[in-house]
Amino acid sequence: MGTISVQNLRKEFVSDDSTVVALENASFEVSGHEFVSVVGPSGCGKSTLLNILSGIEMPTSGVVEITEGGRDARLGYVFQAARLLPWRSVIDNMLFVQEEHDAEARARCERYLDMVELGHTQKKWPGQLSGGMQQRVGIARAFSIEPDVLLMDEPFSHLDAITSRTLRRELHELWDKTGKTVLFVTHDVSEAVELSTRILLFAKGGHLQDDIPVDLPFPRDPASDEVALAKAELLRKFESLDLVAT
Amino acid sequence: MSAIAVRTRPAKRARNRRLSRIIRSPRLARVLSWIAFLVIWQVSIPLLPTLLVPTPAEVAEFMWDEIRGDTLAPQTVYQAFGTSLGRLSLGLAIAFAIGLPIGLLMGLSKKASWFGHDFVVVGLAMPSLVWALIAAMWFGFGTIAPLITVVLAAWTFVAINVAEGVRNVPKDLLDMGKAYGVTRFDSIRYVILPSLMPFFFAALRYALANAWKGLVLAELFASTNGAGWTIKFWYDAHRAQGIIGYALFFVIFALIVERLIFGRLSAYVFRWRPQPGARKEGE
Repeated sequence: MGTISVQNLRKEFVSDDSTVVALENASFEVSGHEFVSVVGPSGCGKSTLLNILSGIEMPTSGVVEITEGGRDARLGYVFQAARLLPWRSVIDNMLFVQEEHDAEARARCERYLDMVELGHTQKKWPGQLSGGMQQRVGIARAFSIEPDVLLMDEPFSHLDAITSRTLRRELHELWDKTGKTVLFVTHDVSEAVELSTRILLFAKGGHLQDDIPVDLPFPRDPASDEVALAKAELLRKFESLDLVAT
Repeated sequence: MSAIAVRTRPAKRARNRRLSRIIRSPRLARVLSWIAFLVIWQVSIPLLPTLLVPTPAEVAEFMWDEIRGDTLAPQTVYQAFGTSLGRLSLGLAIAFAIGLPIGLLMGLSKKASWFGHDFVVVGLAMPSLVWALIAAMWFGFGTIAPLITVVLAAWTFVAINVAEGVRNVPKDLLDMGKAYGVTRFDSIRYVILPSLMPFFFAALRYALANAWKGLVLAELFASTNGAGWTIKFWYDAHRAQGIIGYALFFVIFALIVERLIFGRLSAYVFRWRPQPGARKEGE
């Protein structure tokens, strides 16, 4: 299982007339079969953090290491929007991110498509699927490369409540079955409490404010008293740290 | 009796609805407009003061003779269009060979875009007639002047569309590939090139339309064959049915290119686009 190690991470965006600090001195570690949520208000550098971890952006300073048994870990990334190539079929979208395009890779893609109950959509174009189904393809794509570490950037934020809840359940089952290390960005406190083993709390300006373990047994019912209490406690912490978006 | 009446009423209503649909259909309006045009044309011939306006029947007869290869001109319609199409194809290939790299450069580099911008805009704004006249003056009669005209009339449309396409390559999809460690070659093949396709088609359409107009003019001034020159032949021969007939051949040619080539090619290349109003699975 993969390990994410982040030390003194800083990211600035410099334009002609201003400098915006997206992340300030962030340090944390995630390892093993953990599901860690990054929670914070809009503009606190959550997505920037994932973009740096995935290599899409370079940090201004600091050290990031994502390893698995002494080698670079394989990364899967589920984005806010599914980011499927509209001109390639569902199965070809899955194959696009595979290292090899052989029969074994195809069989793996088909297996993960079946796991999200979309085996019958292999030959369809992404534009023929609803937003929820496209996002499920995005999740299957990320799992299909059998990553050591899975990065997820608010993957359910564009979906309706029912689809979002179904996908949360499917995601939890996949995580449980595969034992991946997951770093999950969200602004939804309920989602974080329902899915995570730990929550990293970020404030505006990209400061890591708190690292909170969530010691509740799985599966978690979002309507249960324990989840409601944990959520209320987290929201209180938000207020005490002045993190609630205004 | 009453049973028969019950059966016939819906049938009658359905027939009335069908008739009403046909009457209101845009296709009928279009067909009627053409019939009206031909009737007015035929009827007004005796009222016109000149003998140089042919009747629709004379134009049709001219076109039929040409189709059968029976012509007074040095080239049949097939030879004339064959000559012109050869020049057009070669000229467009050269225009793409010039316009593609310039467009790529202008799309990728702001400095290259600033450098080339004014020249491309001038090229877009310049009437094909000017290119035809300049090419005719420089290269005289022959194949070179029409060919150069096609290149000059087309390359700027290629460059500007390719540059715009490169600027519009979806960054989110490139980032997705980067996050998954997709190779540069695969990113170009599966992300950049397909995303350029709509711009490539736009370039081809505009370049073809402008180049064709330029080519006909250049053949008129600086050639001894081709479709443009044959129109001039019929003009010199005072045969208006020849000019109108050739104009109609141009229309037929344009329709064939649009429907049979562009239409089908575009339907195949963009087959992934959702049909308007189509229901998505899972909605």
